[in-house]
Amino acid sequence: MTSTLKGITLKGSAELVAEFFSFGINSILSPLTPKLKDYLTNVVSQLKDWLFECTVQKLVLVITCLETNEVLERWQFDIECDKSAKESSAPREKSIKTIHDEIRSIIRQVTATVSFLPLLETPCSFDLLVYTDKDLVVPDMWEESGPQIIDQSEEVRLRSFTTSIHKVNSMVAYKRSEAV
Amino acid sequence: MITVTADLNIPRGCRIAQQGSGILQSQYKRSMELLEAAERVHSTNRYRQLDQEKKQMELSHKRARFELEKVASDSARDHEHEVDRNQDLLGRIKKLEEREIDAAKNLSDQVEANRSVRKNLEALNKKLEERDSRLNSANQASSSLKDEIRELKQKIQNKDSTISSQTLENQELQEQLDLQRRKYQEVSQLCQSLQAAESSCSEHIIKIKELERRLTFQEQDIAIVKTVKLEVARLPDMEKELKRLREDNAFLRESRENCSLLKEEVEGLRRKLERMEKTKEELINVELDKERLAEKLHAWENLGQSTGLNIRKPDDLSREVIQIQQREIALKEQNYTLNSRVRSVERSQAELRAEMSQQRSKTLEEQKKRETQEALVRRLQKRILLLTKERDGMRAILESYDSELAPTEYSPQLNKRLREAEDILQKTQSHNAEMEAQLSKAQEETMTIKLQLQTVELELECLKKQQTSVADSSSLATKEEVSILRQKIEDLELERQRLEKQNNILEMRLERHNLQGDYDPVKTRVLHLTMNPTAVAKQQRQQEVEALQEEEVLDLRKQMESSELRNQRLKEVFQRKIQEFRTVCYVLTGYQIDITTENQYRLASVYSEHMDDSLLFKKGPNGSMQLMETEFSKTLGEMVALHLHHQKSIPAFLSAVTLDLFSRQTTI
Repeated sequence: MTSTLKGITLKGSAELVAEFFSFGINSILSPLTPKLKDYLTNVVSQLKDWLFECTVQKLVLVITCLETNEVLERWQFDIECDKSAKESSAPREKSIKTIHDEIRSIIRQVTATVSFLPLLETPCSFDLLVYTDKDLVVPDMWEESGPQIIDQSEEVRLRSFTTSIHKVNSMVAYKRSEAV
Repeated sequence: MITVTADLNIPRGCRIAQQGSGILQSQYKRSMELLEAAERVHSTNRYRQLDQEKKQMELSHKRARFELEKVASDSARDHEHEVDRNQDLLGRIKKLEEREIDAAKNLSDQVEANRSVRKNLEALNKKLEERDSRLNSANQASSSLKDEIRELKQKIQNKDSTISSQTLENQELQEQLDLQRRKYQEVSQLCQSLQAAESSCSEHIIKIKELERRLTFQEQDIAIVKTVKLEVARLPDMEKELKRLREDNAFLRESRENCSLLKEEVEGLRRKLERMEKTKEELINVELDKERLAEKLHAWENLGQSTGLNIRKPDDLSREVIQIQQREIALKEQNYTLNSRVRSVERSQAELRAEMSQQRSKTLEEQKKRETQEALVRRLQKRILLLTKERDGMRAILESYDSELAPTEYSPQLNKRLREAEDILQKTQSHNAEMEAQLSKAQEETMTIKLQLQTVELELECLKKQQTSVADSSSLATKEEVSILRQKIEDLELERQRLEKQNNILEMRLERHNLQGDYDPVKTRVLHLTMNPTAVAKQQRQQEVEALQEEEVLDLRKQMESSELRNQRLKEVFQRKIQEFRTVCYVLTGYQIDITTENQYRLASVYSEHMDDSLLFKKGPNGSMQLMETEFSKTLGEMVALHLHHQKSIPAFLSAVTLDLFSRQTTI
């Protein structure tokens, strides 16, 4: 946390949001093996850069059934970046404590939501998609992908939080249980 | 030979005899003769003997030769047999070689298997070693644990000893405890007696208290009784008073009823009064109204008189009003038409104004042109004046020159000049005329423009007039317009609401799409790490599937190979067994049995004289065997008749044939 207690800078906001994603995905997928944890940290560090550049629009966690290649769950985090923060480096007037409180309530809601979603009975895997601006240069090790939309889904909108620079709207879509 | 020796001996004897006596000599001679005779007999015998021996020898020789010949033929036959056997053996050797090759293959397979087994064994050995090491470590641990156990045992012994001492102490203490207990029992007995005493004491105290309480109650009762007695003494006075009071009460009640009646009356009167006052006020109002209405009526009557209309009743009035309204409606219609006309006129006015402004601008332009033209004309007139002056000057100069000089000297020059000057003059004059023409044209144009302007102004004026006349009726038109506009506004409002709803629906859909993860491919691109867990898992799965398939294929191949191998081995075993069986049959029964074609069996005897001699049997449909005719069977007519036709026994027939052939071979 580079930002002071008084307000929040773009860098601090990017770090906070990245931290939120790390926590959130961990609480959706727990327990993770060390290999998967490495993958997650890798993605989150790249995401942090993009958050700092304000070029990221969405982060999506897709859970796929390995036998049928069907998408069963889709956790979507819409990110609204205030691009004006890139020009002015002055910190925003929002205390980190309130942001932390907001994040905590979302994480709680996410963990509660996981319990009521349909059980994943088949062996599954997950993937992290990042929606970015079109003009972004694709880095090494990354490639373009489809949106991995669920056929016949139910959607639930979860809470949102804002650092006053990045606003994150959370939602989850899952395959309707009778349609499985 | 003997004779020779005898001859030799004679001379020697003779010498001896000549030395001894002649008798001896004769004796000797006689004995010699006897000996010779004996010898002769002997030799003849011997000769005969030898002769006989010779004859015997010859006989035996002949016999031997015969036998040898027989043996030779036998050996030749044996040789043939041996050759046959040799061929068989060669065939067998080949088979054996093949078998050997197979065996070698098997051996190599086995060696490979052996190697894999060895590897396994090595791996197992390694594991064993690991286990050994573990076992060693475990042994060490167990030894250390044993040491610990020993220590612990010692400790336990120590503890035991302490425990025994403790038990001794314990016993002592228990004895003490018993003593104490006894004491305690005594004390407790004492305590119980004390408690009993205390309880009885407390009971007594409670009784005392209760008695005290009762005493106080008694005292209170006594006080109450005293007061009651006093009250009882007062009772007759009280009764008197009561009577009096009752009378008072009755009187008061009556008076109260009267009072309430009076009050009600008062209330009723008050209400009446109020009502009366109200009616009075109303009366005043009504009178006032009446006056007003009378005035109005007068006014109306006056109006009727003044207007000349028959307005005497409200019906008349309403009729009038209706008429007026109709008139108003007609006027309104007129107004509408006028308004529309006004609008059209306004429009035309606007157009005309635009035209007028255009015309004005044109006239202005024309005026400017005219001014410039006038200026030009003035300048040209000035120039004309100047030129005429110049011309006059020049003429004067020329005249002076003419007068001064002789006409012949400079006349060509002068003439030339003159002509030039005249040319210039003509040019200027023509230019002047042109300019004048232009001027007149411009003046004409300005005139026409002025005329146009005037007409336009006139039109404008008349339009203005029209406008003023129409202006009155324009308010109605605006109303109409307003209503139309309102209608339009309402329509637009409805349209707006519909669009808003649609917009909401579309927004909801968009929201849903957004929730589902849709995106605009023009603005957004979706990225993910190439090596994401899903891709990795899918790849792994693919590989597993492939590996499983490969394994399956390998398994199947192995199974197939093993089954083929088993088949091969079975074939070999069968072949071997069949061969063995056939040889055994051959050896035991003396027949080699071959299958020539289906259901035909050829039997060749061990003892057959020729290689081709064979018996042919055919299996019938019911399993019975029938002898077929061969060259060999033709020679066996008797046996066929006896054993097959008569005895109906193939084994007997075959045995007979065997015996026959065997006897033929052995007895010569």
